[in-house]
Amino acid sequence: MSIVMLDAMEGENCISSKLRAKLAETGREIIWFELKNMSILPCRSCGACNFKSPGKCVLQDDSHEILRAVARCSTLVMLTPIRFGGYTSNLKKAVDKFMSLSLPLYTVKHGHLLHPTRYGSKFMIGIGVYGGNSKGQEDCFRRLVENNAFNMQYAHRTLILKSSEDMEKVKQEIGSLQKEVC
Amino acid sequence: MNAKRLLLFSGSPRKKGTSYSFSRTIKMLAEDSGSTANIIHVIDYYDGKEAFEGLKGLISQSDTIAMISPLYADTLPYFDIWFLEKLKNEFINELRGKNFFAIGQSGLPDITRIMPLLDSCRLFAEEMGMKWLGGLAYGGGVMINGTLLENFGKKGQKIILGFRHAMQDILQDKRISPESQELITMRIPKLLFWPLSAYLNSNIRRQAHENGNADYKKKVYLE
Repeated sequence: MSIVMLDAMEGENCISSKLRAKLAETGREIIWFELKNMSILPCRSCGACNFKSPGKCVLQDDSHEILRAVARCSTLVMLTPIRFGGYTSNLKKAVDKFMSLSLPLYTVKHGHLLHPTRYGSKFMIGIGVYGGNSKGQEDCFRRLVENNAFNMQYAHRTLILKSSEDMEKVKQEIGSLQKEVC
Repeated sequence: MNAKRLLLFSGSPRKKGTSYSFSRTIKMLAEDSGSTANIIHVIDYYDGKEAFEGLKGLISQSDTIAMISPLYADTLPYFDIWFLEKLKNEFINELRGKNFFAIGQSGLPDITRIMPLLDSCRLFAEEMGMKWLGGLAYGGGVMINGTLLENFGKKGQKIILGFRHAMQDILQDKRISPESQELITMRIPKLLFWPLSAYLNSNIRRQAHENGNADYKKKVYLE
């Protein structure tokens, strides 16, 4: 089963390349999307993916490549700078399209109303890169990944990397993730 | 109470949806108190219908700014994050010292799901050196679906009351008190979630039937 990476890093960085090398060591197929090089049209909540075009956004853009890969994968990894305690707009544009990965129906799980998943459960890893010292930013990011995973009924793990940390620490963190992915 | 100038960012791509209905009520309540309020639609700036540079004057002339937005994938929609990023890059000096508050609304009843949206707005305010006045969360936006609150019966009146309560704080540059949140919170016992989901699902099946028995469970990306 493949690993899908949504890489929302905005410029040259060593985290993407180290992560890519580490994930390659798992021996599993890695499908890597560099979001800054993709053309994704934002979700306007038109509702067409419910009935007019069930499970598929009617906009013609690169998001279909991502959604096809996510539907088939076992692990989804999202790598992003932390922006206002959440994802950058570039990652959020892709994540807003995840609506079509769920059914329009409702179910009750753990005391919450949720949409049943269309493609079964997966493992989600949210990696936030943050160079500051605000615990609020980190807590908000963790909660967002947790909520995304809960809504999609995925298992999840959150990792926060300091952009200024030395690469040895980053390698250790990625190494621990690698064990979970395997 | 001094008259204030409010600038309201309506954050939904659906310009006549629930976020607009809420923005409109906030504007009316501000005007009832002798203040002024402008509503702008974030989507118009994304689509290029409004010039981003024009915001500089609007922000400079405002005392208090608000983001009023739906919940998309557990936080602000893409458009609003794009907008806040752009505001940070271009108007940080104009934003510094202004008041900021937020209202998040979700289709589903659990308001705890809206917290990342409100926290993102608070963190934006902190980064910009703005004064955070707090946030309000409304669960149940799917039932309002853009209806003007004065036309939404007793529930609409209760939301207006909660917003009026919040506006009393906002117009005095005070943090929104917890009573405002209490007033707008719709309490549905969790026991009723099962019959509620059954009701909502019957609506879904009816809509599917109206759309030519659309196969809404289709696994289109596995085909």
